[in-house]
Amino acid sequence: MNKRHVVSVVFVILVIVVAISFSSYQANLLEMHDPTKYAEKIAAKQSPLLNLENGSPALGSESAPVTIVEFGDYQCEACYHWFHNTRDTLIDNYIETGKAKLIFVDLPFIGRDSKIAAQASYCAEDQGKYWEYHETLYIFQEGENSGWADRDRLNSFAFSLDMNMDEFNDCMDSSKYQKRVKANYDEAVKNGVQQTPTFIIISQDGTTEKFAGAQPYSVFAATIEPML
Amino acid sequence: MLAVTIFVCMFIPLLILSEFLFIEPFVIFHVVEDRIVSFVLIASISLMSAIVIPMNIYRIRTLQKSRSKIGGSIVGSIIGVSAGICSCGPIGFSIISTFGAVAGTATAFLTNYEIPLRLISLGLLCLVYYTTAKSISIECKVQ
Repeated sequence: MNKRHVVSVVFVILVIVVAISFSSYQANLLEMHDPTKYAEKIAAKQSPLLNLENGSPALGSESAPVTIVEFGDYQCEACYHWFHNTRDTLIDNYIETGKAKLIFVDLPFIGRDSKIAAQASYCAEDQGKYWEYHETLYIFQEGENSGWADRDRLNSFAFSLDMNMDEFNDCMDSSKYQKRVKANYDEAVKNGVQQTPTFIIISQDGTTEKFAGAQPYSVFAATIEPML
Repeated sequence: MLAVTIFVCMFIPLLILSEFLFIEPFVIFHVVEDRIVSFVLIASISLMSAIVIPMNIYRIRTLQKSRSKIGGSIVGSIIGVSAGICSCGPIGFSIISTFGAVAGTATAFLTNYEIPLRLISLGLLCLVYYTTAKSISIECKVQ
């Protein structure tokens, strides 16, 4: 077998795949910016309202026209990649400008530590530090089910955020938010979420766009812009 | 032709499962800096599998040789494909939802040791390539 031939064929295939991907992305972007075509497309995507009452407090203005709902697990590696590669740009361009707000809904399925980490985030919310705690969990994420999010570690995260440890421990020991986390899990499953992270973008008129995976910023921009 | 088919059938699904290629809401290919190693390993394993498996099929059919080496190439490919299957993807979610904590441990192992497992897979495929190429060249010498 001629190795050079094999390498050439592989290279050509890669180029074709990249070209198709790029042209498809461009085509979709143009479609998104054509109001008539986009309206027809999204008219087919009306879906029942998502119950977010058990989700996180909103990051951003409550009056923002677009809601970005992220379903995630604190042990999820893909969620970690999205947090580190895409989230900051999204916050800078849409959340801090008042165009969108972000709500995190737990889908803790990877392991036991996923559930208690989610509960800990709501115990942090009691002390007004939900988002700081949420960010700490993703900054210090380690291997799945490796014990990085066990009770001792969760306590250390709370301590590092200058939280009242008596209140935090009481909250965790009483499993105060166990039902809330379960309710979020059930809501996610009810809405057909089958992986993390999954995003549901909700416009002001209730239309939604759902997609999954640690997608790049351009996907969010292409989805949110027509909703504004 | 078989090699191209094997490569495409491995490479594209692996890209989708590893979240380098997304289909919805539109097709987009995206590799971040901290995952370049993973992408390169996926491409390498797909390429090696596409080379090694057809070579072994040739050995078996044309030279009437034993099937032992094809087992090595298939094992190498399976390890390469399984490693890095994210627990958080749809496959991991289905497995964990169905089989619970035991499945969670297994998928966590595959995720946490993705790079070492893929390197082992690549090593195995390279070894099979070497032994297969040697075997074919010996058998094809004019006596």
